Amino acid sequence: MRRIFPLFIILLMLFAGGCGASPERPVLHVAMPYSDRVQDVESNYYLGWLEEQTGLELDITLIRQSRSSDYLDALFASDADIDVVMFGNGFEISESELEDYRDRLYEAGGKLYYTNYGSGPRSGAGQILWINRNWLESLGLTIPSDTEELKNVLEAFRDNDMNGNGLADEIPLAGSSEDYANLPSELLLNSWCYNDPWHSRYAPDGSFAADSDSFREGISYCRELCSEGLLDERSFSFSRKQLCELVNSPEDLVGAFTTASVSDVIYPGNTEILARYVHVPPLEGPGGIRNSVRTESEPAVGAVITARSSRKEEAVLLLDTMLTEEASLTARFGEKGVDWDFSVGGDVSVYGGHSTIVTKNYLWNTYQNKHLNGIGPMNVPAHYLEGVTWNGVNSDAEYIDGRAQMSCRAFLPEQTALHERDEELSEYTDKWVRDFVTGEKDIGSDEAWGEYLKGLR
Amino acid sequence: MGRIPERLALTAAAACMLLLGGCGAKEEPVTAPETPVYGSETAEELYEKALDEDVLIVCTVSTRATEVKESFEKEYPGLSVEIRDLRSPNLIEAVEDAHEKGSGGCDVVLCNDNSGEFKTRLVDTGLVVPYLPADIAPKMKEGMAGSTVSFLVEAELLFYSAENFDHCPVDNIWGLTEERFKGRIYMPNPLNSFSTYAFCGASMQHDEELAEAYRDYFGEEPVFLYGETASECFWRKASGNIVFTNSSDEVVEALGNGNADLGFCVSSKLRYKNLGYGLEPVWKLEPFCGCRASFAVMLTADAENVNAAKLFIRYIMGEAGGDGEGYKPFCTEGTWSARTDVPDGSPVSLEDTDLLIPDENALAADRKMMESFWEEMIRISVE
Repeated sequence: MRRIFPLFIILLMLFAGGCGASPERPVLHVAMPYSDRVQDVESNYYLGWLEEQTGLELDITLIRQSRSSDYLDALFASDADIDVVMFGNGFEISESELEDYRDRLYEAGGKLYYTNYGSGPRSGAGQILWINRNWLESLGLTIPSDTEELKNVLEAFRDNDMNGNGLADEIPLAGSSEDYANLPSELLLNSWCYNDPWHSRYAPDGSFAADSDSFREGISYCRELCSEGLLDERSFSFSRKQLCELVNSPEDLVGAFTTASVSDVIYPGNTEILARYVHVPPLEGPGGIRNSVRTESEPAVGAVITARSSRKEEAVLLLDTMLTEEASLTARFGEKGVDWDFSVGGDVSVYGGHSTIVTKNYLWNTYQNKHLNGIGPMNVPAHYLEGVTWNGVNSDAEYIDGRAQMSCRAFLPEQTALHERDEELSEYTDKWVRDFVTGEKDIGSDEAWGEYLKGLR
Repeated sequence: MGRIPERLALTAAAACMLLLGGCGAKEEPVTAPETPVYGSETAEELYEKALDEDVLIVCTVSTRATEVKESFEKEYPGLSVEIRDLRSPNLIEAVEDAHEKGSGGCDVVLCNDNSGEFKTRLVDTGLVVPYLPADIAPKMKEGMAGSTVSFLVEAELLFYSAENFDHCPVDNIWGLTEERFKGRIYMPNPLNSFSTYAFCGASMQHDEELAEAYRDYFGEEPVFLYGETASECFWRKASGNIVFTNSSDEVVEALGNGNADLGFCVSSKLRYKNLGYGLEPVWKLEPFCGCRASFAVMLTADAENVNAAKLFIRYIMGEAGGDGEGYKPFCTEGTWSARTDVPDGSPVSLEDTDLLIPDENALAADRKMMESFWEEMIRISVE
């Protein structure tokens, strides 16, 4: 026993010495929005990978507020010890909104924020119509190719008990006002003129659509659909979440809806609902016009460093690391070798070109724990975003989106509108479009139209 | 096929016990049987047992299985089906992975079975079992039930765009090499589609016919450079015009919206005509317009929900009378029934088409050559 005791002391000292010898990792306090697409930040693969790469320990605070300005106001009014705030997944802030907080943010290398670039192809059709294939088939109808056919199809959806529950609960055309991509009237107007609400309705050639007769005719058509119960009036007030609940309902309630990506509306893993809808190529209007609006993914605000942070160097290290190609590919596609790999051989990308990335497990917009689903800074090179190869799963949302995008190509302009978005103008036209379509204002009245035009000037 | 002899039934029962008895035990699969494993259980018996089982997992290359799932779950309340809709090579990998992990990740397989891959990797290894209900067996057409149970015949077929033409713009396959079709012919990547692979591979076993067609088309003796065969020359020239796609759906969409003039895809896609896609089949072409592609339904050796799986197979094959709801989504235009008592979905009989019949063994043997050749063809296409 006497011999054992000194040995025990030595071992204890060795153990204690060993602990003290290992340098403690600096702790960085990071706030990021809660996402229902991320299982657990404590065990998230990407966050663990970032800790390994930077030697930092990330202490994550989940933000529950949905409005970024509410959170920032509360943060700066408190003495909360937060070094980095990340944005994304619905918790967004614009560059101009960020200006209000300039004196409370740290400018790293002359930049106020770190960008997020890479949540999808950088350029393409901003809005696509999706229609219930099962309903079409059971009625013996074809995918509409023009606005007249669309109206006929929507009438049939309305008048036949499509889900067979004995109730007139079918919504022929549903939408949400949370994003232009989900507002059907915005898409329909493109059968009369080039209607780009993201650029305040300016076209790439510099022309302005919202004061034209064709714009008015398009609104009249939308009003007709709305007044006949074909276009759901609640589209102008529903959130995207409400739209999603309708589309994903097991009751099979929705005939058609619009979105940029099908995964924005149909819940992940819902293969039967995905199989239910098929994309509709741009519809031809009565004057033979058929447009698809080209949108470009603008770099979004990915993260900021607070001015009061005492660990600015570590914050810069983290955010610079997140912008590297390796980190960005992990942030977009997950674990290399497991969820994706670089493409070799003769694969074709989902967008029709030569492939660069093979996805083995499609993770984007699914409930997963490999990355942050677009939260924080990232910079995925375009040739990777557009070179994703189909993984062979028919319910792969990126593949479904890719095919829909290809059907719009012939109707897309070469480039997006150059006109800067004018918030005041957009707010004005959006309100009038809504009022005309819902019948608050009479689109048939020259007086009302004149009043609208007067306000435009 | 007549009544099953008693001795055969006994042999089959023994094979069935051997194969299915091992399902839960995760033993190494035994050698594939030459004949189907006949099942004598009634639908009622299977349903009763299936109620004690878990969610049935069906790995399929056809989205139509989703429709079968919906009607199956209505027909048999309490049973649930999970459809895993995969591209053919990925389906093979999924079944192999499930077997290796012993996870029982798949109970029923629906897959094209003409590329040789299905046969060598799943059938010959015993990973899938040719289960066939005994009361359906006498109604199977010749050649549809053996080591593989095929429940449908389709074709990898040439189509033309009805948006761009009112009749097929070519009557000889060498017409596809004309400059005017550059970027106007769509075809799934044969390395990712079993039926396209089967067609491309089968075409390479018909060099003489291709050389003869060359003479007819160009009116001169063919001169094939660099030691090429007629088929290699044809595909090299055609690949300069072809846009390779990920699947038949992309071909249908391109034909339907006029982005493509011509395209190869599975004939069952003809059903998309009902949704308004403008595509028309080419049944006759010198020397061939495509190849036959049979569609297998098989039970996996690792199936954990054996009774539900057998019930699903009965259901998808149309039950004893052939008029069951499960078969209907497959009996559409562009398909041929595997049963004598169910009419073909296609208006043209198989004998009246210029379709090749692929040799699975030859296709399997040529796999390495095919892979390197088609990687080169895709490179030509992209350039």
